Amino acid sequence: MNEELDSQLSAMFDNELPAAECELLARRLSRELQLKARWGRYAVIGATIRAEGGARLDAGLARRVNAVVSAEPTFLARPARQSANQLPRRWRRPLAGIAVAASVAAASIFWLRFQGTPQQTTTLVDASGPASTTQDEHLMSASLGSPGSYVIPKRAVRRSIVPATQLANYVVAHSEFSSPLNRRNLLSALMAAESGTAGLSSGSEEPTEDVYDDAKSAQ
Amino acid sequence: MSADVSDLSLVRRVQRGDKGAFDVLVLKYQHKLVKLVMRYVRNPAEAEDIAQEAFIKAYRALPQFRGDSAFYTWLYRIAINTAKNAVVSRDRSPIEYDLDRNNSEESYEMQGRMKDAETPEGLVLTDEIRSTVNTAIAALPEDLRTAIVLRELEGLSYEEIAAAMDCPVGTVRSRIFRAREAIDRRLREVFEGGLGRTEELG
Repeated sequence: MNEELDSQLSAMFDNELPAAECELLARRLSRELQLKARWGRYAVIGATIRAEGGARLDAGLARRVNAVVSAEPTFLARPARQSANQLPRRWRRPLAGIAVAASVAAASIFWLRFQGTPQQTTTLVDASGPASTTQDEHLMSASLGSPGSYVIPKRAVRRSIVPATQLANYVVAHSEFSSPLNRRNLLSALMAAESGTAGLSSGSEEPTEDVYDDAKSAQ
Repeated sequence: MSADVSDLSLVRRVQRGDKGAFDVLVLKYQHKLVKLVMRYVRNPAEAEDIAQEAFIKAYRALPQFRGDSAFYTWLYRIAINTAKNAVVSRDRSPIEYDLDRNNSEESYEMQGRMKDAETPEGLVLTDEIRSTVNTAIAALPEDLRTAIVLRELEGLSYEEIAAAMDCPVGTVRSRIFRAREAIDRRLREVFEGGLGRTEELG
């Protein structure tokens, strides 16, 4: 046998071989029976010097353990996976916390937006009536009353015109997909609403004709 | 150098599915473990059974071993727990031995008990091995004998032996290797010779 290899084997037995050489020799040691037998005899020499006679100095115990271990399931590179997971695992809890916080924040934003839209539509329908101001004031006070809310409703006068125009554009643009009866009812309601608003608030931002022009251009 | 580097490289191989590497660890520590367990049970055959159980437990738990402690320290704990459990389950009181004591009188007493339960065949082989190794050690040059005894009996590292013998670490490594080679040459004859038990170390 190679003298250098034997010297390495002796040093490895004493845990005195550099790690890189250990890796290579460990591979050979686990496969080559002759090398393994020599390793076993090194153990016997040490046991004899230390008077570790035990029951026997042969390798009957090693043979029995080997028989049991051979029947055991083989590990499938678990430590590599563990070491790869160790670092992420350290970060897993804080990251999960951040993810939950982000989800809650996102859900809150969507909820507030969703909450805001029907209120504006309601305002639009009643924009011409005197109740609209009261309702907006109610909304304002509700918004101010809830500290968690980030949406402040607009003034009643502006919102009574602008969303109506936008909705008209929307309805006209998609009129081809809606039934004629619904379209007519909605449009007549809008016209009535806008004519009423124009009458109440002089110098309003959007004249009625403009609404139809925008609608035509959208079509 | 890490005190456990070679054991750890073998452990990593086992964890990657190389069962042969575990065999290497068993060959290295079987005698130590049996001696350890014999502090708790009288019968050598029972001590071997407990040591075997400890090795199998260690193999099954090896995926969880992260190398925070030395492999032998970890194995030692498993063996102690296994031995204690075995003693409790068999309703026997453990023999209390101080782990650090190395009393020769105690050692003779223990050897006497061991021989009572040993098979004649095992005894012949064990005695022949012991006699061969001791004769080979006695025949070694002084510097080789000192180096191997300081290593195996005292458990000194190569660096400590180098300091004690006033020589470089490389020389210590060479002396220990040559001492082992000289002893192993004789020992191989025992295993390959009259008793025909070559396979028992493989």
